[in-house]
Amino acid sequence: MSVDLTLDIRGESCPYPVIYTLETLRDMSKGQTLQVISDCPSAFRNVPEEVVKHGYTLVQEPVKNGQEFSLFIQA
Amino acid sequence: MKKLYSAWFGGYWSPYLVMALAGILSAVYFGITNTVWAVTGEFTRLGGHILEFFGVDISDWAYFSLVHMKGTTWTRTDGWIVWGMFIGALITILLSSNFKIRVPRQKRRYVQGFAGGIIAGFGARLALGCNLAAFFTGVPQFSLHSWIFIAATAAGTFLGARLVNTKWWKGKPVLHKGGTVPVVGTRKNRQPWIGAILGIAYIGLILYFFAEGRTMLGTAALFGAAFGILIERGQICFTSAFRDLWISGRATMTKAIALGMAVSSVATLIIILVYGMDPITKIAAPSTLLGGLLFGLGIVMAGGCETGMMYRLMEGQVVFLPVFIGNIIGATALAYAWDHMGIFNLLVKSGSPINLITAMGPAAALIVTLLVLGAMFAIAAYWQKNYRFGEGFKKGGTTDVR
Repeated sequence: MSVDLTLDIRGESCPYPVIYTLETLRDMSKGQTLQVISDCPSAFRNVPEEVVKHGYTLVQEPVKNGQEFSLFIQA
Repeated sequence: MKKLYSAWFGGYWSPYLVMALAGILSAVYFGITNTVWAVTGEFTRLGGHILEFFGVDISDWAYFSLVHMKGTTWTRTDGWIVWGMFIGALITILLSSNFKIRVPRQKRRYVQGFAGGIIAGFGARLALGCNLAAFFTGVPQFSLHSWIFIAATAAGTFLGARLVNTKWWKGKPVLHKGGTVPVVGTRKNRQPWIGAILGIAYIGLILYFFAEGRTMLGTAALFGAAFGILIERGQICFTSAFRDLWISGRATMTKAIALGMAVSSVATLIIILVYGMDPITKIAAPSTLLGGLLFGLGIVMAGGCETGMMYRLMEGQVVFLPVFIGNIIGATALAYAWDHMGIFNLLVKSGSPINLITAMGPAAALIVTLLVLGAMFAIAAYWQKNYRFGEGFKKGGTTDVR
């Protein structure tokens, strides 16, 4: 799987992970893949939920790495 | 054993279940201690102790006699609710290996958190309670002031959401081309062990309180930890319950909190009737409205309210340190302004404590409360289904969400 853009929001708390992710996805072309790296515990739940609700797809299971995680989203 | 451990600490718990449990526990806590689960009153007292430490004479400040400055934070039940919440949250964070010093890359977050914390602390105390005493534990006491506070908080978060969504406030994230392979560390993880030791030590402390006959302190320490564990495991965020509606239409927290308050209202009414207790009623006045508005604005600026701030700080999110300090400064500033700047005469004096049970009887009070909470749940569900980021309400084309 090739990733087109990486959004590194480690250190950011709510609501910025959701805002940044949805803004970035809105500016990407359809079919492109975004990787979101975050360490905000709430974002592990609310970012995937909001992304799916807004019509994007999670292309693979989130990758957890200690307290950080990566999400892979297709615009 | 390993399976059981990962079921409890591998992922977060359902916010609906967590809020229902918190609702029952807070009703039981009221039944035992005749006080409600609350935190900002204690923040105000902490501010008072700090002033005393620097030699300020606060004996004639009306607000401090209103909240009673007796003893120290270690000898008050309200104190142990606060410290219990901090410790309880820290224990489960360590058990789930989720502690990490999380430093915001954008320095502006510290200023924003500090400013928001002050406004939220000031607003909460102006209304005589935060998202707990004037919200989650206020509604189940059938105190009218909490409904005014909730409506005003919703309006305040709308202003807050507009503010944090401006370019100069939110700033720019780090965005680069291509993927990033995470560096997988193989460092030894000692967090669960530290969490277990802390947990055992804390149980020891609770047992000590009971053995010494300080039953109420033991109860507060126990319930405080339970509340801390619940809000951390459910990632309960009262800020997001309103803010996220305005931003992306997320309503999970809104629904969970409405459910929790419904459960708590039934449980509290049973306790009130069975034990013949008087519900705790606070003054409903213009100050409640203004306080809620400021509180709503402040919590969105800060990124968390007085309760959410507690477990986030324990997770190592350092941005919540200025928020905590801001909360105490804001609460103390209100305590000063209360009589020294005429806030009481201007905004509070005209109000009176109104309780729905006294106003309409227990059955009607419960029915009305449950109907309004039901409406809140339904509106939240509709909102979640139809509101979209950057677009607002869209006609047609809805996506199904659970």
